[in-house]
Amino acid sequence: MSGKERIDIFPSRMAQTIMKARLKGAQTGRNLLKKKADALSMRFRQILRKIIETKTLMGEVMREAAFSLAEAKFAAGDFSTTVIQNVNKAQVKVRAKKDNVAGVTLPVFEHYQEGGDSYELTGLARGGEQVSRLKRNYAKAVELLVELASLQTSFVTLDQAIKITNRRVNAIEHVIIPRIERTLSYIITELDEREREEFYRLKKIQEKKKQMRERTEKEIAARQALLGPIAEPSNMLTEETDEDLLFE
Amino acid sequence: LGSFYGFNVDHGYLEGLVRGLKAGILTRSDYHNLAQCDTLEDMKLHLQSTDYGSLLTAGNEDLTVSLLDNRLKGTILTEFRCLRAHSLPPLSTFLDYITYSYMIDNVVLLITGALKHRDVEELLPRCHPLGTFDQMAAVGIARTHAELYSAILVDTPLAPFFQDAVSEANLDEMGAEIMRNKLYKAYLEAFYAFCWERGGATRDIMCPILEFEADRRSFIITVNSFGTDLSGGDRRALYPSCGRLYPEGLQLLARAEDHEQVKAVAEYYPDYKLIFSDTEDGSSRTLEDRFFEQEVHLNTLAFLDQFHLGVFYSYIKLKEQEARNIVWIAECVTQRQKSKIDNYIPIF
Repeated sequence: MSGKERIDIFPSRMAQTIMKARLKGAQTGRNLLKKKADALSMRFRQILRKIIETKTLMGEVMREAAFSLAEAKFAAGDFSTTVIQNVNKAQVKVRAKKDNVAGVTLPVFEHYQEGGDSYELTGLARGGEQVSRLKRNYAKAVELLVELASLQTSFVTLDQAIKITNRRVNAIEHVIIPRIERTLSYIITELDEREREEFYRLKKIQEKKKQMRERTEKEIAARQALLGPIAEPSNMLTEETDEDLLFE
Repeated sequence: LGSFYGFNVDHGYLEGLVRGLKAGILTRSDYHNLAQCDTLEDMKLHLQSTDYGSLLTAGNEDLTVSLLDNRLKGTILTEFRCLRAHSLPPLSTFLDYITYSYMIDNVVLLITGALKHRDVEELLPRCHPLGTFDQMAAVGIARTHAELYSAILVDTPLAPFFQDAVSEANLDEMGAEIMRNKLYKAYLEAFYAFCWERGGATRDIMCPILEFEADRRSFIITVNSFGTDLSGGDRRALYPSCGRLYPEGLQLLARAEDHEQVKAVAEYYPDYKLIFSDTEDGSSRTLEDRFFEQEVHLNTLAFLDQFHLGVFYSYIKLKEQEARNIVWIAECVTQRQKSKIDNYIPIF
């Protein structure tokens, strides 16, 4: 893993401010994404429960529908060829709509009837009641199937969306934020070190100056000692008597 | 009166054959055994001990309900073809009349297919084999209704039914079901006339059966047309007139608007009153089941008399009912819906 990396940037105070801002941004982003992942998971669990219910109901309905087909065949004889011959357009159609959950669009299917029942008169002379019961049972089965289809596509889409979101959350949490923090700590250490260097330099310069001053003083003292007492030039201000005064 | 003396000359062998075949029809105890089975394999085992013998063991396709159905229909077909091949007039005409009802179904199927420009080759295997006629493949060639009628249908045995019921003009407006029912009405009336003309025992056995069939169709068409676009006037054109309901009952039926009124019409006829009154007991028998039972009962009566053509008709109908029963039991077994497995109609 990229464990020890940090962003390459020149360490300065401005860089530090920038990095702090980025850290803040990354943390906010991570929290938002976590909330999105939670909302999606909640919806996911709801859909899962609904799918289980619908599937068990589906088993019952299909069984009943298949049995009503057997009953209809018993009463009305073989009407399958008649039905196949009379097919022209679909009577039950499916529309797709979109539903939005925390930013993820889910497809929702709903069925609608179009046109009249073109098989009204099938089994007119024999088995009509069984045929109409058969039609009702299979219509119920088709409704359930459409609902199940919506639920399953939403399930798959949500699953993918949750995986992606979780991946992003983890990426931010375990890669981006540590990287920024490392960069930040690097900058801070660099800045501290620079300050210390500065301080040390100043101290060293002061020492050097002091040494130089001591040396020059020593030299002056030595030179003075060599020359003997030096008549100091008379100080006009401290003189008691002034020669130039003629009359005192 | 030649029926008594001369019958065995022409038809004795075949009547004997049919009575022998009739003895092989499954009994109540056979059905009871079949209903106890849990899988199709068990059913196959039980069927081997009946007259069906090696029906299901031949061949090595998967044992499914549709395979069973096809094999049962195959046996009926072979038996019928054998009878028809050996028969002399008037039995041959009688047997042809039996095939006309299947022919009507096939013709309606082919016509609707041709009008939707479907390939006739696809439809031919789906036609009922008992109802084949020579011009079947040619139906697909016709492009308009006029052509269809004048070129093809005119030569089939069904032509007279088309003339009575359907004219060229309204062939296209009618839905398939209406056409089928109109043809069937004409067919029933023609068949009834034929049986009446034969006289003697044939008339005594066949005419009540055909009357019942006509009335049953009238009742069921009425009940099934509630809630659809079929009006009373349209319905009346579909009622066969050879039944006991003709003419007053049919008029009342055409005016009936709900189930209560239909029941009121049935009150006038003691047999039908019985059928309609039982359906309200909350039993699981529907109206159609009761009609089936009555039909089976009338068909079994045919075997009590001799030297008439009715045995052939009854045998075919009972064999078909048996095939339906077996398939029903098989479906219940495979779908594990044993609750309604006793809804078959026992024959003997």
